[in-house]
Amino acid sequence: MAAAHPETVMKHLHQPSESATNGSQFLTFNLGEELYGVDILRVQEIKGYTAVTKIPNTPSYIKGVLNLRGTIVPIVELRTKFGMPTIEYTMFTVIVVVVVKDKVMGLVVDAVSDVLDIDKKDVQAPPNFGARINVSFMNGIGKSGDKLVTLLDIDRMLSGEDLQGVAAA
Amino acid sequence: MSNDFAQFQDAFFEEAAEHLAVVEEGLLQLEQHPEDLDLLNKIFRSAHSIKGASGMFGFNAVAQFTHKMETLLDLLRNGQTAVTSKNADLLLKSTDCLKTLIDAAKSGTPVDNETVKRLTVELAAASDMNVKAESKVEKGASTSLSVPSPLTPHPLRCFHIDWAPPEWLFQRGLDPLQVIKELGDLGTLSQVAVDASRLPDITEMDPERCYLSWSMRLETGKDQQVVEAVFEFVREDSVLTIEERETLGVKRETQDEKAMASGASREPVAAPHPSPLTSDGSDSEPKPLGEILVESGVVSREVLDGALAQQKRVGEILIEQHAASPQQVEQALHKQRQQEAASQSKKTDTASIRVDTAKIDKLINLVGELVITQSMLSDLGTRFEMNQIHVLLERMAQLERNTREIQERVMSIRMLPIGTAFSRFPRLVRDLSARAGKKIQLVLSGEETELDKTVIESIGDPLTHLVRNSADHGLETPEVRLDDNKPEVGTIRLNAFHEGGNICITVEDDGRGLDREKILAKAVTQGLIAENEKLTDDQIWSMIFKPGFSTADKITDISGRGVGMDVVKRNIENLGGTISIKTEKGKGTRFTLKLPLTLAIIEGMTVRVGRETYIVPLLSILESLQPRPESVKTVIGKGELINVRNTYLPIVRLYEVFSLEPEHTDPTKGILLILETEGECVAVMVDEILGQQQVVIKSMEQNFRKVEGIAGATILGDGTVGFILDVRGLFEIACREASLVA
Repeated sequence: MAAAHPETVMKHLHQPSESATNGSQFLTFNLGEELYGVDILRVQEIKGYTAVTKIPNTPSYIKGVLNLRGTIVPIVELRTKFGMPTIEYTMFTVIVVVVVKDKVMGLVVDAVSDVLDIDKKDVQAPPNFGARINVSFMNGIGKSGDKLVTLLDIDRMLSGEDLQGVAAA
Repeated sequence: MSNDFAQFQDAFFEEAAEHLAVVEEGLLQLEQHPEDLDLLNKIFRSAHSIKGASGMFGFNAVAQFTHKMETLLDLLRNGQTAVTSKNADLLLKSTDCLKTLIDAAKSGTPVDNETVKRLTVELAAASDMNVKAESKVEKGASTSLSVPSPLTPHPLRCFHIDWAPPEWLFQRGLDPLQVIKELGDLGTLSQVAVDASRLPDITEMDPERCYLSWSMRLETGKDQQVVEAVFEFVREDSVLTIEERETLGVKRETQDEKAMASGASREPVAAPHPSPLTSDGSDSEPKPLGEILVESGVVSREVLDGALAQQKRVGEILIEQHAASPQQVEQALHKQRQQEAASQSKKTDTASIRVDTAKIDKLINLVGELVITQSMLSDLGTRFEMNQIHVLLERMAQLERNTREIQERVMSIRMLPIGTAFSRFPRLVRDLSARAGKKIQLVLSGEETELDKTVIESIGDPLTHLVRNSADHGLETPEVRLDDNKPEVGTIRLNAFHEGGNICITVEDDGRGLDREKILAKAVTQGLIAENEKLTDDQIWSMIFKPGFSTADKITDISGRGVGMDVVKRNIENLGGTISIKTEKGKGTRFTLKLPLTLAIIEGMTVRVGRETYIVPLLSILESLQPRPESVKTVIGKGELINVRNTYLPIVRLYEVFSLEPEHTDPTKGILLILETEGECVAVMVDEILGQQQVVIKSMEQNFRKVEGIAGATILGDGTVGFILDVRGLFEIACREASLVA
């Protein structure tokens, strides 16, 4: 195993730290000024934004599909999914490719920020905004220094009739 | 370990299926050419391979049954008996039985033991007759007093065998038990004794070494060479002595007589019962406790049988103890069966393909070339100057050639000759003609036509259905045929050939043809069409593909035609193919299946709507045209129709269905593609036709879900994703939207 695949290396590096700190590592990214995080073990890769093919008759937050080395991967525009205003794509706009229930999907985000270790004790339950904001796809609010990271439950967020042909559990 | 073994078992089952096919095919041919010795040898070899391999994997039932078949085949081969239709029939039936036995070994499906037994007896009897005939010829008057055994046609000889296998026996994966069993197949083994004196202390024992040796006595009708041949694979380094003790002048007695006789006159026999390794059918499983107790004289057989009768199943015990209700137990049993069934279906799903090594070698060469081209290109890339552009172009061309060739080769790996799908029909037709009392000849052609393995596997059933229909309902009885001045023997023709990028398979009979009036009448009574509706012939014939057509109340003449035809049609369409009928009353019927060569690649037309590119399967395109303004009409102010040679077809604007921004909204500026789906035609409007190309179908469902109107995706030349249109789906969306508007 002289030349291990980078992903494998990544996974191997992360597993011990998870158990050691009793927390997790999160890939964080920006949407406007806000910081969001997804469990790093769910991230397959990060790639620059390239044009996608629009799928007819699908909700607007589904940007389209992309050819990822021969597999067809649906791309979700996270801003639209959250009901935030869309912006012009810049050189920082990236697609975070994640694995949701054995399916590969891409999330368009403004920019990737950092990989953060967030201890379990620094994660608090999702705040209650009542009916104003749907918090069901949040795992919690993580604190790292003076930063606030919204931790996303991508399983819940990205499974549903529109995306996987099954009703969300 | 067990997994590795399972892997070999899979290979065995696959091979066994192939050998079985050879045997069956050979037997069918043998009926036509009974004197063909090559054919017999081929059949024998295949049967022998099944026997050998099944024995090796411990499928004793299979091995024993094949052995019986082999005995008869051997006699046929040696010319000791003639190939009669009775023998051939028996062997064919045995092949079927063997198939079920192998299936049973594979997935644990139940075996009809009655059939197995009956066929075993019949096979033995068939071989026996031959033996009798032969022994009479040889010796004049036969001395046989008791029932002669088929396995021992010659006078019995008695061999004493001492065998010390080499120490490396286990290391080479050989099994002494197998040898002993094979000896048991030759005749009766007795006084099998193992010498375990060389067995070291357990701490010093090397489990891969063989420390044991055996001595035994074998009574057989075979020659010494035959006995020696059993040791063929283990002879090297073995200490082996085979001595012939005496020749028994009489035929083998029945077990009891022999036991008595040997007890009285010959050397004392150690075991009063025959050893479990005799030819009479026991296998290698350890004996149950009861058997051992009976043998060692602790209990008598009656006591044991009584005890066994009292033994209960877990479920019954639980019910008795009121731990579970009978219903619960029944449910649990049901669940168990389901799980078994599930695991079986999983087992059968694993598919593999056997590929000619030459194909692989070529592929490896090509990959080698590809690597060279790639390194040449990257070498050029590192120090590229504009004046080298011609070198670059040349190498790009080379790369393209390599890629195309590799693509073709890889595709060809999945390609198999369609003969494998045809091979089942001679047998089917033979059986059908016997059952229906008709004389049918089957003519196969184009068996060498290659197509995708998946396609071959999936067309088997639809084809069987069509052939059966032709034999059952298409062809008339000999009397009717003679009355109609037709040859007495009806013909069913199966043909396969390439046509364009498709493969065509035709199933043709020279029978009575479809009855137009009866189908019409039936369609009216079933409410499929109105009383006075004008229909073209094609439309009428396509009625038989309607689900449930002709099943309800049977019309004598065409009963059956149409039963399950909807399934046939659906299967063919699932493969991306079409089916059409041509029939003439009194002359016959021809079904033509048109199938894509492969499921992974289709021929497509790329079209543009606004800025989007779509691919339309070429199979469904009838024509494309730019309409004149006067040929576009509307109905109720909304529904658009186009007049194509005096037929009005509905227009579907692709940009409306897919909510796109088109370049043209006027049909006379864009292009109309006339697409056909399930016999209906529709004109689909696009902006421009870009060209025709082969596209590789990629699944949308793998990471996303099914999208209406889209059959799949593909990667276009520029690396972006393009969608392949699902013509049927489009049609349905269009219909729905039209009804919403209305």
